[in-house]
Amino acid sequence: MPEKIVYRKLSPEDIRLLQDQGCSALDWDCVQVEEGFRPIRVRNTHFAGTIKLGRHTGVSPADSGPEKISGIFNAYLTDCTLGRDVRIANVGVHIANYDIADNVVIEDVGIMESTPAATFGNGVEIEVLNEAGGREVILFDELSAQFAYLLCLHRYRPELIEQLKILIKNYISESVQKRGHIGAASQIRSTREIINVRIGENARIQGASSLSNGTILSSPDAPSLIASGVIARDFIFAENVSVTDGALLQKVYVGQGSRIGKQFSAENSLFFANCEAFHGEACSIFAGPYTVTHHKSSLLIAGLFSFYNAGSGTNQSNHMYKLGPVHEGRLDRGSKTGSFSYMMWPCHVGPFSVVLGKHKTNFDASLFPFSHLEASQNGRCYMVPGLYLNTVGTVRDEAKWPTRDKRPAAHQRDYISFHTLSPYTMGKIIAASAALNQLRDTTDPDRLEIALSGALIKRPFIRAGLKFYRSALQMYILEKIFDRARKNEQVSLENIRRSFSVNNNAVYSEQWVDIAGLLMPIDRLRDLQDDIAQGRLADIHAFNHRLQQIHDAYLDDEWAWVAHNYEQVFNADLMNLTKDDLVQIARDYLKARQKHLNQVIADAQKEFDQQSRLGFGLDGSPGDILNDFEQVRGSFEKNQFVVQVKKILYDLEKQVEIFINKLNSC
Amino acid sequence: MSDVESKVKQIVAQTLKVDPSRINDDARFVEDLGAESIQSIELVAAFEEGFDIDMDEDAALAVKTVGGAIKFIEQAIA
Repeated sequence: MPEKIVYRKLSPEDIRLLQDQGCSALDWDCVQVEEGFRPIRVRNTHFAGTIKLGRHTGVSPADSGPEKISGIFNAYLTDCTLGRDVRIANVGVHIANYDIADNVVIEDVGIMESTPAATFGNGVEIEVLNEAGGREVILFDELSAQFAYLLCLHRYRPELIEQLKILIKNYISESVQKRGHIGAASQIRSTREIINVRIGENARIQGASSLSNGTILSSPDAPSLIASGVIARDFIFAENVSVTDGALLQKVYVGQGSRIGKQFSAENSLFFANCEAFHGEACSIFAGPYTVTHHKSSLLIAGLFSFYNAGSGTNQSNHMYKLGPVHEGRLDRGSKTGSFSYMMWPCHVGPFSVVLGKHKTNFDASLFPFSHLEASQNGRCYMVPGLYLNTVGTVRDEAKWPTRDKRPAAHQRDYISFHTLSPYTMGKIIAASAALNQLRDTTDPDRLEIALSGALIKRPFIRAGLKFYRSALQMYILEKIFDRARKNEQVSLENIRRSFSVNNNAVYSEQWVDIAGLLMPIDRLRDLQDDIAQGRLADIHAFNHRLQQIHDAYLDDEWAWVAHNYEQVFNADLMNLTKDDLVQIARDYLKARQKHLNQVIADAQKEFDQQSRLGFGLDGSPGDILNDFEQVRGSFEKNQFVVQVKKILYDLEKQVEIFINKLNSC
Repeated sequence: MSDVESKVKQIVAQTLKVDPSRINDDARFVEDLGAESIQSIELVAAFEEGFDIDMDEDAALAVKTVGGAIKFIEQAIA
């Protein structure tokens, strides 16, 4: 807790010195200072209203360039409180109604003020997902991806929505301060205007153009950066964001660790943890964690995204020239859109799927994870279910997201489940397999293409999809069982069986859901919805605590799902497995994982084939092509990813060997 | 022409939409018949469907010619 500063009135000598240095005040009696105040550190400054100044004894830190002494130089201050060793220099208009904490630097700023009715972005209603309205999310500085998701997407439960709004209203009325505030050690430089913006600790505002009605959360371990020509209105930025380079944002939330820049523009949009947005445009989107759009000509509009990558020129329409921009799209987690792909909303894409081409019809592929969705020349969607289960891109993605997590460790606002294979995706695989089986059994075997929810499937791909899905489901379940069995310190049949029991607090649901990055059994969602709707969660903190519990229960809930589905898939009783059964499980898992990773490696190898060498060895002889290629790209054998995968396989072989030996010797 | 050979060539023609006269035993799926990546997977799936067999993907995708596919399938159904 910062030490409370004790202020005193200025002495006549203080006033005389200040006046000699070009300072003035409407009423010197309203200016108070801390003991140790040195008038020499205040020059050419006018004071109006109630002013409190901490002492200036040291220098102000600078990220670059020379250190400068703290003090107030060439400024107009109205109704401001300053902490210790604040440096304010060269204010064009004024700083009004701000509390400025210790060690803040404010230099070359045009105008900085807060007005009596300011809410600093809290309470702003934004039209997310449906540009014509109906799914408004209210901004407040404790917003999380999960809270926003419930408020935006679960409109079918009006009592839930009502309670969520009450939680927000109570939070804003109790917590939101009425005055502008700049947190300790923040630096604001060369910024034209800051109106009704609260700024946290250690923030850097450098060369921003105009910031109004917003909150910039920032902390010493997760400082935020707003720079270079940014214009932002009606916003909340969470900790460790970087918003730079001419970004234009209106009615926007930017989550922890996100990066927005290079003239990206967005309105009525939410970007949660670890998003990246450069060059393009977003309108009315719900960007869950790890939504990434990097390229010019990309428009994301009226869509729900997460763990998503937009190819250049990605585009959608939410307007059919009928009743306005009322249509919405859904891309479940992990999906990608290829360069210049287009979708006409409404569409729903299943998790970890890839969308290519220009789709001119609406389709629902939500049931089919890891699918290839390619538009034909006439804009129809052709689906290959499950194709991306065994591709190098999917495996690399799963590995990369946790390493790119820029949320501060101490306080993570959005809850994120990183798992690619999980009861969520496996539940969809089970449902997809049932749908494919029905399709195969109920359609004419001579029909080459079958329509399903707006997409077309070529008949051979029904069989292929079933195979992909079956292999993935078996591998997933076997992996979980093997992992749990081998992690027993004492590997014995008795211990293993004991470790297979399901935690009493675990929740089993056949279906899991993805709530803006947090995976959970649907029954946990229902309980959460009911508790909110019935007013049993008192405030935002109780809500967050509940989410934390759900997040922490993932492994137990997952195991409940695995245990139940092992019996369904393998027609065997998990609690009565024999030693031989367990040995067979270990061997079957190894075989399944080897097959999977060998396919992934084979997919990676395509990046080193003859076609990939096109254009290499320019101006050289034929032998220089491979040489040039290897100098730039390296060789397949030494590729880091390939080496890693081969190590995983090697380690797994050892683990299985050790496990079987231990089991056989007990 | 055996049944297997005839059926393989029919499936190739249908899947890759090529003139059957271009499909000889030495024809390479990618270089000669223009099979793209997805079409290679479609071909494997079509062979499985057509002959009601399960093929190991890695082994199947390693087959590069029509003649190779005929031999592969003949072994699979033997």
